[in-house]
Amino acid sequence: MNSIVSALPGKITSLFGKLDSPYLNGGQQLAVKYFSVATVLFFAQLLFGLLAAIQFVAPGFLFGWLDFSVNRMIHINAMVVWLLYGFIGSVYWFLEEESGTEIAGLKLGNIAFYVLTGAVTIVVLVFLLIQTGPGKDTTIWFINEGREYIEAPRWADFGIVAVMLVFFYNVAGTFAKGRWSGISGVLTLDLIALAGLYCAGMFYLTNITADQYWWWWVIHLWVEATWEVLVGCIMAWSLMHLIGARRKIVQTWLYIEVALMFGSGILGLGHHYFWIGTPDYWFSIGGFFSALEPIPLVAMVVHSVYDAGVHQFKSRNHPALAWIIAHTFGNFLGAGVWGFMHTLPQINLYTHGTQWSASHGHLAFFGAYATINIAFFYMAVQKWRGNVWMGGELPGNGWKWKWAMALLNVGVLGMTVALLIAGYEQSFIERAMEGSTWSAYFSAQNHPWFQQAMHWRLLFGLITIAGLVLLIWDLVTIGKGETRPALQLLEAE
Amino acid sequence: MIEPVALKDFFITFFSAALVILGGAGYAGLYAWAKLRGNPRLLLWAYACYAVLAGATFLLARATHLNGQWQILVGLMLTGYLLAPLGIWKLCVASHGN
Repeated sequence: MNSIVSALPGKITSLFGKLDSPYLNGGQQLAVKYFSVATVLFFAQLLFGLLAAIQFVAPGFLFGWLDFSVNRMIHINAMVVWLLYGFIGSVYWFLEEESGTEIAGLKLGNIAFYVLTGAVTIVVLVFLLIQTGPGKDTTIWFINEGREYIEAPRWADFGIVAVMLVFFYNVAGTFAKGRWSGISGVLTLDLIALAGLYCAGMFYLTNITADQYWWWWVIHLWVEATWEVLVGCIMAWSLMHLIGARRKIVQTWLYIEVALMFGSGILGLGHHYFWIGTPDYWFSIGGFFSALEPIPLVAMVVHSVYDAGVHQFKSRNHPALAWIIAHTFGNFLGAGVWGFMHTLPQINLYTHGTQWSASHGHLAFFGAYATINIAFFYMAVQKWRGNVWMGGELPGNGWKWKWAMALLNVGVLGMTVALLIAGYEQSFIERAMEGSTWSAYFSAQNHPWFQQAMHWRLLFGLITIAGLVLLIWDLVTIGKGETRPALQLLEAE
Repeated sequence: MIEPVALKDFFITFFSAALVILGGAGYAGLYAWAKLRGNPRLLLWAYACYAVLAGATFLLARATHLNGQWQILVGLMLTGYLLAPLGIWKLCVASHGN
């Protein structure tokens, strides 16, 4: 037994070592490791989401073995972690090319990857194996911290912050050693905020309002500020390498985006403070800044039309570009339309925490974040294969990536609409008509609209999983045996 | 405390809020397209979208009881959403120029 345990680290590193490719630099080798784990976690997210969806239509399913609370928790945590793995991998991917030098502390970065992956594995195993029990101080440290979406126990929190600091050192140290750019400056500052804000979710306060106040700093300010900026940096670099966009243009727009995002997104935090016991002025602040949040999306629409019309861009990677286009639509619909529909406090009183929130969450996270990670996976696999052709005329007319994209988008959109119907019924009957009582909750849960919506959600969930299986198959096989080189674009200035 | 939406205005609130964003995007997109093509007819469609945005904003403001000083804010935001695509278009032209 002991010999197996002692040999385990070597076996794991050699397993990941098989992913190395002679076409990649050190940072890109590390990025591929992050992308691989991200894909596994993406699958876990959908698998546990599917189990939770089944439990909505058959509540006795796996009861006592794998309860709904655990499935939901792993579904959401896996999503947060796989998206982070994707973002970290994307940054490692372009770090050496952007800085013009080798990564500072790459060995430390590799160790941090194994530490983080080991910690994530242990946390998930503990979630699965210890589902019930007394809540003590030691529970917070070793089992579950109890804060929704960031349930990881405190030992893991410290590990996450330590790994983020190593990541920050890799990024800032590399740019300091090499060359700085607009993208690298924005990225480095954003990583300070990313690591710093996580600390706001690590301490426990006995006053639930105060506790929730700080907890939202992690949830909202990560998602609607630091992640958006991080994605802006990844998108800026991707557009230069995907369609040959000029650096001056993408950097200018990155600054504009950051200004708009921070101008509206930071105080948009107020829309989470409506019902947690904070002072009344948050109604006005949250309502007003939430109404400003679509402005970056309006800018995105104008800019997309301008670029499509003025420049005749050629893409060197059709699947990646298609996913970036899906990102713009998904972000606009999920974050913009679905968000604004229920963000003002006058209506949010009824919708907050219902399936309406879940509907918004599904489309916004998929549209704003999952899509950009998938686009980057395709860019990575292209170079991993030796910078091969991924334009038009792929074998089989690229049916796998096209069907994977269609199934994933139809699946998520279908779930979103099903949850929207359930959420509308729930907020109307449970909240508005019957006044949020315990019996009102059951009235809403047993209403045919809710029940039917849950069946439709399950069906579209299955379609989403089918899309992911096809996507993974495509990522593993695309470009295999391809001999044509990738389309050469003019070097970005 | 802000007055919650009345039960009868439930649907109109969601619907008008969605139309605010869709109208705004339609206006921004069609405005940019009209400028790109130099086509005044497209500009008319863009302003039609803005009219949808303005009408939806009016409905939303009424359903959500945005009275008194809030109406000034609604007016300011409508002006802002009218001018934003113009400013962003100018930024596009300026930032893409050599």
